[in-house]
Amino acid sequence: MATTKLTPEVDPLLQAAANAAPAAGTETVQMPVGVPGYTLRQEPRQVPVTEPPVLPVNKDLQYIGKSPTRWDSHAKVSGTARYTYDMQLPGMLYAKFVCASVPHARIVSVDTSEAEKLPGVKGVYVVQHLLGGAVLRNPSLDPSKYPIVRYAGQPVAAVAATHPHIAEQAAQLVKVQYDAKPFVVDMTQARQPNSPQVFPGPADQAGSAGGGGGPHDVPQTGNVHGPSIHKKGDPEQGFKDADVIVEGKYTTQVQVHNALETHGVVADWKPDLLTVWASTQGTASVRDELAAYFKMPKSQIRVITEFMGGGFGAKFGAGNPGVVAAQLSKQTGAPVWLMLDRKQEQLSAGNRPSSDQTLRIGAKKDGTITAMQLISYGTAGCGTGAGCAGPVTHLYDSPNLHTEENDVFINAGPAAAFRAPGHPQGAFALEQSIDELANKLNMDPIDLRDKIDSNPVRRVERQIIRESALWKSRNPKPGAGAGSGYLKRGVGLSQSVWYRFIRMDSSAEVRVHRDGSIEVLSAVQDIGTGIKTVMAQVLAEQFGVPPQQIAVKIGDTNYPIGPNSGGSVTTASLTPAVRDAAWQASQKFLASIAPALNTTADDLVLTGGEVRSKSGKLQPVSFRRAAKKMDTDVVSAQAKRIPDYDPAKYDTYGGVDVAEVEVDTEMGLIHVKRIFAVHDCGRPMNPMQVKNQINGGLIQGISYALYENRLLDPKFGYMVNPNLDMYKIAGPRDIPQLDVHVIESYIGQSSTDASGIGEAAGVMSAAAAIANAFHNATGVRIRSTPMTPAVVLEALKQAPQRSETA
Amino acid sequence: MKQFTLADCTTESAALSQLNGGAVVKAGGVDLLDLMKSGLIAPSRLVNIRNISGMNGIQSTPDGLKIGALTTLAEISENPEIKSQYAILSDACGHAATPHIRNMATLGGNLLQQNRCWYFRSDDFACLKKGKDVCFAFDGLNQYHAIFDNGTCPSVAPSSAAVALLGLNANVELSSAKRGKRTVALKDFYVKPEVNPMTRTVIQPDELLTAVTVPKPASGTRSAYQKYGDKKSFDWAIADAGVVLEMNGNICRKAAIVMGAASPVVRRSPEAEAVLQGKPITEETARAAGKAAMQGAQPLSMNGYKVQLFPVAIYRTILLAAGQMGRDPSAAG
Amino acid sequence: MSDRTTLPQDLPEQTPAPENHPTQPVSGGGISRRGFLKGAGVTAAGSALLEGVQVFSHEAVAATRNGVKEYGPGAVPVTLTVNGKEHTLQIEPRTTLAEALRVHMGLTGTKIICDRGSCSGCTVLLDKTPINSCMTLAMDAIGHKVTTIEALSSNGGLHPVQAAFVKHDAMQCGFCTPGMVMTCSALLDQNPKPTEEDVRKATAGNLCRCGTYPRIFAATLEAAGTTPRNA
Repeated sequence: MATTKLTPEVDPLLQAAANAAPAAGTETVQMPVGVPGYTLRQEPRQVPVTEPPVLPVNKDLQYIGKSPTRWDSHAKVSGTARYTYDMQLPGMLYAKFVCASVPHARIVSVDTSEAEKLPGVKGVYVVQHLLGGAVLRNPSLDPSKYPIVRYAGQPVAAVAATHPHIAEQAAQLVKVQYDAKPFVVDMTQARQPNSPQVFPGPADQAGSAGGGGGPHDVPQTGNVHGPSIHKKGDPEQGFKDADVIVEGKYTTQVQVHNALETHGVVADWKPDLLTVWASTQGTASVRDELAAYFKMPKSQIRVITEFMGGGFGAKFGAGNPGVVAAQLSKQTGAPVWLMLDRKQEQLSAGNRPSSDQTLRIGAKKDGTITAMQLISYGTAGCGTGAGCAGPVTHLYDSPNLHTEENDVFINAGPAAAFRAPGHPQGAFALEQSIDELANKLNMDPIDLRDKIDSNPVRRVERQIIRESALWKSRNPKPGAGAGSGYLKRGVGLSQSVWYRFIRMDSSAEVRVHRDGSIEVLSAVQDIGTGIKTVMAQVLAEQFGVPPQQIAVKIGDTNYPIGPNSGGSVTTASLTPAVRDAAWQASQKFLASIAPALNTTADDLVLTGGEVRSKSGKLQPVSFRRAAKKMDTDVVSAQAKRIPDYDPAKYDTYGGVDVAEVEVDTEMGLIHVKRIFAVHDCGRPMNPMQVKNQINGGLIQGISYALYENRLLDPKFGYMVNPNLDMYKIAGPRDIPQLDVHVIESYIGQSSTDASGIGEAAGVMSAAAAIANAFHNATGVRIRSTPMTPAVVLEALKQAPQRSETA
Repeated sequence: MKQFTLADCTTESAALSQLNGGAVVKAGGVDLLDLMKSGLIAPSRLVNIRNISGMNGIQSTPDGLKIGALTTLAEISENPEIKSQYAILSDACGHAATPHIRNMATLGGNLLQQNRCWYFRSDDFACLKKGKDVCFAFDGLNQYHAIFDNGTCPSVAPSSAAVALLGLNANVELSSAKRGKRTVALKDFYVKPEVNPMTRTVIQPDELLTAVTVPKPASGTRSAYQKYGDKKSFDWAIADAGVVLEMNGNICRKAAIVMGAASPVVRRSPEAEAVLQGKPITEETARAAGKAAMQGAQPLSMNGYKVQLFPVAIYRTILLAAGQMGRDPSAAG
Repeated sequence: MSDRTTLPQDLPEQTPAPENHPTQPVSGGGISRRGFLKGAGVTAAGSALLEGVQVFSHEAVAATRNGVKEYGPGAVPVTLTVNGKEHTLQIEPRTTLAEALRVHMGLTGTKIICDRGSCSGCTVLLDKTPINSCMTLAMDAIGHKVTTIEALSSNGGLHPVQAAFVKHDAMQCGFCTPGMVMTCSALLDQNPKPTEEDVRKATAGNLCRCGTYPRIFAATLEAAGTTPRNA
């Protein structure tokens, strides 16, 4: 956990939980731990007596671990799902940002008079305080009336009008006068001592509720923010002790999240209540930022996210759209809709930083790693968060480790957490280096990893892969991949690692009504991962009724606090609270009906849609009929997340992926034919949804590996492809056959023992697996992404690296 | 988009009467709306020709084909006669843009669309094609730009249909209220940027493109078109090739080899054609033709790889046309 | 080569002026944002254009002169047939069909995502043909039947493609789903027994950022009664 920058707010909680003394009132229970069929066993855990009974493994459950259809799927397929983008309120105004047209400048003046005169324009607001990006440690170094423009596309002002057309036209009438400053958008150039400086002094970026951001306690020289240095053991000695050293330079590009629903909100400022519909991964994070910004009590802010069109890490907090829409609503007295357009989304709504990595690994002849060293530079635009040492720090056992991570400021939009921050970059370098090491040692890549990776779950995953037909079809000799003529086939493997993060701010309330209806409430938002379905499953298991009969009410800060969905925390954090609330509500329910049934609550059990008597003294009664016997109209219970049962037993999650590629060596095209993927995420709550996310992670990884690239013109600082045709994202014809296997891995940590799969879904490892398959096919190592025809053909000009073969 | 007046015409003559005062013709509207939404143009008046009857449809004539300018790319690509007799045209129209756009985009609009260049397509850059005196691609990001004829404006020709039609020696029919109809060979239709970077074609402001005629291919003609992109789903061509072979047994009597994304104007390669003429089609001759097509290529700083791609696109498409190779799995969509 | 080609290095006068070097301020030189619109005609669809600056107007004009029906530039009443019903809207000619559906009719199932025809999130049926409503003027839908996701199923239940999407979990965030469903249902109308390759071709213009494609293929094949590959 040492170097990952994912969630500064989470780590202390985890630590606190680890340090907590065993609570009074605990009991020892036996819990399933391990992988069924491989390592499953029972382990003791000290558990509060208030916890519900231990859940057995999935095969012994009725609804959890099964795959009922997505709870809100009917709304999504029929167009009735209402996203923030779709909100239409009476009298609502449409707002549009005015964005900076230069990459670096002091704003001299903003003239909104022409815009204000346009009929239909109801409000104009000039941005006073910009959110996102790094902030100077000493703000007085850059005095300015308006926020300094640090990238082209930075929000400067916004207009609100009665129709989107009018807002668009009004935005063009706002005149901004710039005092242009020198700028730099090329990272290599930005590292030079004589480069224009993005900040006149040291600057830091805070992480969001979803992670990202960078270290604050590091030096800054020019545009280079860092290094952030971590050392373990004696790396120098480790390299001296090595029999073999592999070293490589790897570069990766900037990737833009490009959620299909852009960032934005609808804000309705009323005297007593600010209501905000937000496209967010954290209703709580939006409320918190608005409360801080406007110095309002949280109780006067309500945030709603009923449906949400994708975030991938970039949608936390109110952000500039949130505060500006709220300002405009306050000013005009009308609800204000403010969603970014696609170009603004590309420029100002976050991205995955680039990387320029030098990685060295020393090993003994038997594969034992003696030392690893990573020196990385990356740009997060005018923000930080380009560190990528996560994989090298956490994936393999090395007694000696040295990492130096540097952020390089350029005049581009700030990065944001992006699905497994730092890991796709880091894994691209690390997993190719391990592959190279295996070749040098004449070892099978799986055997080598068995030697250097002690994680028991990944060991099982590798075993499954070892036995797969795809892996067996691999010719171990690099460049000798089957295939005649210009098509070369290859198979390559990569691993990935992610962490168990828990958000303690995770609560739920469960209510049972006398008419037999059951509902669960939490402020948590479903960002497409299916938490609504999983919540319904948890209640279904508890009450013995089908999940479709559970009313799931989420995405509203009027409900008990929900976790911000970043870092794969949602399922791990919330489902235990949901189960605890369901358990408590069910006990209250049974107590409420028992007298009318002439029995006691402990004689009753909920199963098969019925209330049954353990003693057999009652005939089974349907749940609905039994509910009529309640002594009050509604019973409810609210529960919060309690700490993991045994945080000291910390496990990572991950997966192992094998890619099969066919390289068209004449056209420089890599055709990914198939990916065989084996992943873990604790107890899979809904395997169909989990696999769907892994499909998606792999596809995003393929897209990152082969196509996506934010391109900035080096001389003028503008993005040349801020659209969805020249910013290239994998489409239906670019998708290989995906064979995804989710293994059950029990860790005995909570009442559901579940975790999330968002990060550990293949997005980290796909690029490295493809690159290793490419090497297997061609004998040539490709060390930069995206692996476009231009890059592939250039790489193929090298002679195959025979040194990698034994 | 700025406001405009829409003049909806149902006859060709009505439309022609409207072509004055800077009015802009709209058919399918795909490229036009793209330019307008991006703030690159702001016409105050659009002449809608989409609803003119008689300007769409595919007619088979004794001399070949007459395709109305309003015929959609989807209709052309799915036409059985075009599929069997003019495979290059069916291939080209069937692989343009996306299926949805092929349902909307007309042949006329496809031929008249603006070139692809991200500097031109961005409102952040005021370039040569917008009446300024600077091309940003030379010293900028030019990986997708032209490798031929790129001394003035290296944006690439966007129309795959034009690749096919140039290979088929097609003509376009233009109509004007004042001057009546005229026919222009497709090879003379496009204007090179050296002549005028802002004018893409010889069409005059008062003219409508009403139809395209395609001469009947000689017997023994086989043809094909293939397009390659970074990805296989919707993408712009990084290389493409149109091939028309007049065969006499296994001997190629005459060949047309055409490239689209190589230059600002669709380009035939007489050098490649000469290699094939009078020779049997084999992988060897096909590869030689592909290589010959690169004579005179002058790549920019970042697009040298395209000089490698085009010969491959060409030889594989020659072999596809000759029936010696299947459709290339590496080719897009 | 008859064409005179010139290497870029032979054209120093066409490269940006030195003051635009990134280490220098950008205020002078070749970049004048939107400046090119001033008096600079760009040709589209073959005609030279006028400078388009004009006063915003709500003037409603709909006049027929010499067989030409003229709309706008302000809002005019237009009748569209959407989901089987006629709707009269006050819209300007620049209103796209997607905007008319969403902003003027409240049919928000149709999404605008790229706003350029690159993602097909805005797919609706014009008569029976799937098109991008973001790249279609609303007035071009006059006289046609527009079908949106809200009315894909006429019987109140789910269309077979919708039902199969539910069964196969062919969605995550769901934002691309309406466009995908419209595209796939149109495919089955045209080709009741598609192969997976046919589904990939038909959806080649539809983007899904969550990466749900394998499920979409499987669902569409199932709706067609074809056995989907395990996804």
